Amino acid sequence: MNVPSGTDRERLHPACVLHRRDYGDTSLLVEIWCPERGRLPAVAKGAKAGKGARAALLQPFRPLWVGLAGRGEVRTLTRVEAAGPVLLGMGKAVYAGFYLNELLLRLTPREDPQPRLFDHYLEALEGLAGGADMGACLRAFELRLLTALGYAPPLEHTADGRPVQPGGVYGYDPQRGPVPVPVDGFRIEGATLLALAAGRPLQGGQVRQARDLMRLILDTHLGGRPLRSRELLRRLLSLERKED
Amino acid sequence: MGPGESGRPLLERLQEALRCLPGVGPKSAQRMAYHLLERDREGGRQLARLLATAMDTIGRCRECRTLSETEVCALCANPRRDRRLLCVVEHPGEVAAVEQSAGYDGLYFVLGGRLSPLDGIGPEALGLDTLRARLDAGEVEEVILATNPTVEGEATAHYIAGMARVSGVKATRIAHGVPLGGELGFVDAGTLAHALAGRRLLE
Repeated sequence: MNVPSGTDRERLHPACVLHRRDYGDTSLLVEIWCPERGRLPAVAKGAKAGKGARAALLQPFRPLWVGLAGRGEVRTLTRVEAAGPVLLGMGKAVYAGFYLNELLLRLTPREDPQPRLFDHYLEALEGLAGGADMGACLRAFELRLLTALGYAPPLEHTADGRPVQPGGVYGYDPQRGPVPVPVDGFRIEGATLLALAAGRPLQGGQVRQARDLMRLILDTHLGGRPLRSRELLRRLLSLERKED
Repeated sequence: MGPGESGRPLLERLQEALRCLPGVGPKSAQRMAYHLLERDREGGRQLARLLATAMDTIGRCRECRTLSETEVCALCANPRRDRRLLCVVEHPGEVAAVEQSAGYDGLYFVLGGRLSPLDGIGPEALGLDTLRARLDAGEVEEVILATNPTVEGEATAHYIAGMARVSGVKATRIAHGVPLGGELGFVDAGTLAHALAGRRLLE
């Protein structure tokens, strides 16, 4: 798409806020994710002052239209409009949303447009909000994220190129893929690997295996720093188990 | 203090120090410094003494974590307050706001922020273990979640509501909706959705 620079200032881009923090007394520094521009930091000047609802709009999990100005690393948000209702507002799903946002903040480079991943993200948020299985939503998005970044994990073939057998049990080497013997005590059924690859629903013990597999793979890309939102989600879930 | 830290003039350093106040830029800092030095030295001395004392003396209330110069703040120590009601807010300033609304006679718990995993703010930073002990102690019957209606504020309310259920305490959330004197046409869609979801029976 070639847009003359004269109108670029006026153009509105679809976007989501991944994170925001206070900037000075009345402004916000937001990490915006645009499908056509990628992830970038932007300042919303005076967003918290006066009666304008910009601070209320500039929250995570809400599709937006934003106007961006400036050429430096940090842009200026010129306009913000809602492109739809808040997708995640309450409950456990919000914690899963924080997790998706933290993954994106930690793993995607800035200014790297990922329009398809953006659609998958909105789809994941809608799924979480609609009460879809949280594990399934998160696993699907994790795989799509890794694939979009060029780190698609091998699932259907072992490290030495043989097709994974549904009845087989494998270990996993994050660099090479499934291997015939458990690695560091981690085991996964062939059927789980194949179900993940095909996006099929996971059954019973497969849910946990898939979660542990994705954690193993993601951790190799996260450079040893743990995901805070994962820890908080874990604590919330353990709190909810106590309620029953 | 010895003469001039890194040899810079005192006046310059004073202006820079004043800029730690919210909303004070270089221009206002200059005005303040000149005002105190030229017109109100006694006021300036008084301010300096009070600032020093306040910074050293004001801590947090052991029970509700609000700012207090005594170990237990005046609100928590007041025997006329209803100890069965506990209103949870993010910041000490919000205690003052709820107090001014004059409709509440229970106690408070001040979190000092909200759960925000992406900023590394978890349950410990908000004193939720203190809150849990309070809920488990059995005196509180209802916890009123008055965190802000932001995504993080809602997430925080959700977490504390879970804790309350584990402790067998009723949890309620303050209503969000159309401001008094406002008009529906000017209210944003999110607020209106909240107002509709939280509608109540007219009797």
